[in-house]
Amino acid sequence: MGSDPPLRGDQALLEVNDLTVEFPGIRALDSVRFDIRPAEVHALVGENGAGKSTLLKVLGGVHRPSSGEVRLAGDHYRPRRPADALAAGIAVIYQEFNLYPDLTVAENVFSGREPRNGISRGIRYAEINRRTSELFDGLGVRIDPTATVGDLTVSEQQLVEICKALSVDGRIIVMDEPTAALSADEVTQLLDVVRRLREEGRSVVYVSHRLDEVFALADRVTVLRDGRHIRTCGIADTDPDELVRHMVGRDVESVFHRDRVSGGEVVLELAGVGAGRRLRDISLTVRAGEVVGIGGIAGAGQPELSQLIFGALAIDSGTMSLNGEPFRPRDPGDAMARGIGFLHEDRKAAGNLPDLSIRHNLTISILDKVRDGLTRLIAPAKETDVYAGYHQRLNIRATGPDQLIGQLSGGNQQKVLLGRALAPGGKLLLLNEPTRGVDIGAKAEIHRLINVLTADGAAVLMVSSDLPELLGVSDRVYVMAGGEIVGHLTGDDRTEENVVACATTGRRIFSEELSKR
Amino acid sequence: MSTQTMTEKPSEKAVTGRSSKVSLGRLWDTWGVTALLVLLLLCTPAIAPGFLEIENLQSVLRESAYVGIVAVGMTFAIASGAFDLSVGGQLALTSVVTLMAFNGGGTAAAVAAAITTGLLCGLVNAGLITRLRVPPFVATLGSLFVFRGIAYLLTQDGPQTLPYEHVDSPFAKIGSLNVAGLPVPFLIMVAVFAAGWVLMRRTAIGRRTLAYGSSPSAARFCGISDTRIRLFVFVLVGLTVGIAALTYITRVWTADGSAQDGFELKVIAAVVLGGTALKGGKGTLIGTFSAVFLVSVLNEVLVSQGVESAYQRIVLGCVLIVALTIDGLRTRFASPGSFRRALRPTS
Repeated sequence: MGSDPPLRGDQALLEVNDLTVEFPGIRALDSVRFDIRPAEVHALVGENGAGKSTLLKVLGGVHRPSSGEVRLAGDHYRPRRPADALAAGIAVIYQEFNLYPDLTVAENVFSGREPRNGISRGIRYAEINRRTSELFDGLGVRIDPTATVGDLTVSEQQLVEICKALSVDGRIIVMDEPTAALSADEVTQLLDVVRRLREEGRSVVYVSHRLDEVFALADRVTVLRDGRHIRTCGIADTDPDELVRHMVGRDVESVFHRDRVSGGEVVLELAGVGAGRRLRDISLTVRAGEVVGIGGIAGAGQPELSQLIFGALAIDSGTMSLNGEPFRPRDPGDAMARGIGFLHEDRKAAGNLPDLSIRHNLTISILDKVRDGLTRLIAPAKETDVYAGYHQRLNIRATGPDQLIGQLSGGNQQKVLLGRALAPGGKLLLLNEPTRGVDIGAKAEIHRLINVLTADGAAVLMVSSDLPELLGVSDRVYVMAGGEIVGHLTGDDRTEENVVACATTGRRIFSEELSKR
Repeated sequence: MSTQTMTEKPSEKAVTGRSSKVSLGRLWDTWGVTALLVLLLLCTPAIAPGFLEIENLQSVLRESAYVGIVAVGMTFAIASGAFDLSVGGQLALTSVVTLMAFNGGGTAAAVAAAITTGLLCGLVNAGLITRLRVPPFVATLGSLFVFRGIAYLLTQDGPQTLPYEHVDSPFAKIGSLNVAGLPVPFLIMVAVFAAGWVLMRRTAIGRRTLAYGSSPSAARFCGISDTRIRLFVFVLVGLTVGIAALTYITRVWTADGSAQDGFELKVIAAVVLGGTALKGGKGTLIGTFSAVFLVSVLNEVLVSQGVESAYQRIVLGCVLIVALTIDGLRTRFASPGSFRRALRPTS
């Protein structure tokens, strides 16, 4: 494709016209149009199920359109398989990376295209390592080409994917929710990388739920809703409120609404709790009616802390008490019996029971409560009652109790898992990343639910890497770094600056100490 | 289409459309093998005219029982995401011990010995897996040899046998008696399947077994203890072996270390053919039930046609491969994508 005629700045490099993609029983995309200009960052936004992933998969050669056309630099573009897309200079980086965890960074970058020696056909390791280094230098990041990919952090793996795209000189790089699992620092780094790509003249399609990133980065933005094109405009011609309206098709009430309740009895108290090298000297309290947030960069020990309280991680030192009584759960079953609900941050790997129906996913934590009084066997009618209750309360969108959980959208899966966490009916909820990978509508619903729960007297401990959520939903915030609590922010001290300062600079900020001064 | 559905949000309609397709797939999961069995039965009069005679049918039912009974336990094992490769060794050992007990103490001793030996074998497996953390595949492969080895040791001076003078003892009757024209081993098997169905569908431990098979890590955060699931599953397999040994030994009247060589593969084949997913999370006892009979009827037809036993094995192997191919295709259809995509090899 080296002999393409030069393109004018406003001329589309890639054009999608009237694209329709149908699956049996579903029209995933309905006459969608979309275009990408040279050297631009084009953000693609929409709720889960809006059709973003389908559009990406058409560009990436995974799905084929039912009708409509895609033109790349004026020519018809009809990839039959992912390799065709790559050959045409379109690299799609999906949320689930296509990396071999046991191979090195350089082996991954050049996988299947390794330069080989003439006679022995051996891979020229020196060359691929050098070229990988050069590509990383170009991005302004440092990753060892000989490191094993499985040992890298999620954000480093993301950069390996980007590097892979550059190694084939991808002209269009498509990123699906690249920051979903990144910490604030890593997000900043990624945004810098994307800007560099644009400076080099490459085009980036950037799919994200996070509108702050979209406004920080994009030149233009396209909104999809229910498989249809809603709007494309320059980023300067719109604002977040308007985008949200387009995405959900209605006005969303102010994002974080909290009925502040004055703290009740202390529900959970930790004093000097430690677990190996992962958690050190953790002391905190959670009161009834309160949302206590746990922030910090990824890997600072936040999920471990909630797992320890839930009995999934052994305590080495310190004491815990629940409702004033000593508490030391043997295992999660023990913690659940004491009325603690838990939501894992990784919905796919440690949340969903993919072969089970929604109803069975909901009742798995309360099987004792759905038994028939006489026979002690599970009573399906009681399970259906449980489903009906949560279906209404959490506004789960599903065809019925027997639908498999994997067939729901991410937001509705999350609501089912929240229902499971609520089912033990306890007064303490441990919520890890309650709105990760969830669309804006569902996010607002989940926040509203947390509000209702705490108004009813539940205590919530919430781990969130989404700063606006952490600060907007929590009444108090603890910040963790290196397995320790390095900050406790209440009232007006709950600012993004303070959280970031504690999490990254080694400063310790405790509101109670500030107020004493 | 009514006006009400017209105003529904498209995304909700989309979900409905997908689920109706999948429930068809689920229907195949449960009833596909049963349909094949019925089809085969309808064809048998043409192929093997003598097949439908009462005595022949009774023989098929009696012959199927011990594979079927253990297949109930194995369905739980596979649904939990594990195999028990040791059932052949367990059956040989249990059969030998049961005959020894009968010759020493009569019917009651024999029944008690069968159940106890089966349970103990299961406990050994569960212990290896939960205490020593050996993966189930390896643990049961090892115990298969150990159990068979012990059975050989116990029969060094010749196989244990059921002496002919006891032909009228209640013990020997287990294998020979018919009630209302139905052989007792078959009735036992039906009872075990019924109990298994209730256990899987209506009890907490059954539900937890499916949950664990579906996602062990998610199950952990639902308060499900992997130790308890493993213990339950492998002891249950041992129990079914104990029951099966009673129907087996009263049919063949003799046992030594080589009894039912390759038994584990017959049982696993029946469970897999029945539609229980190898990756765990799904178990269908109705499918297993039909698959057990599909295999025996097929065998019986082949035997009646004078097909050599080597060919019988080949046919069974082919049936298994075809069934799994269909299953693989179906799984790919269940996810959105075209027919062509489903047939294309995954890269």
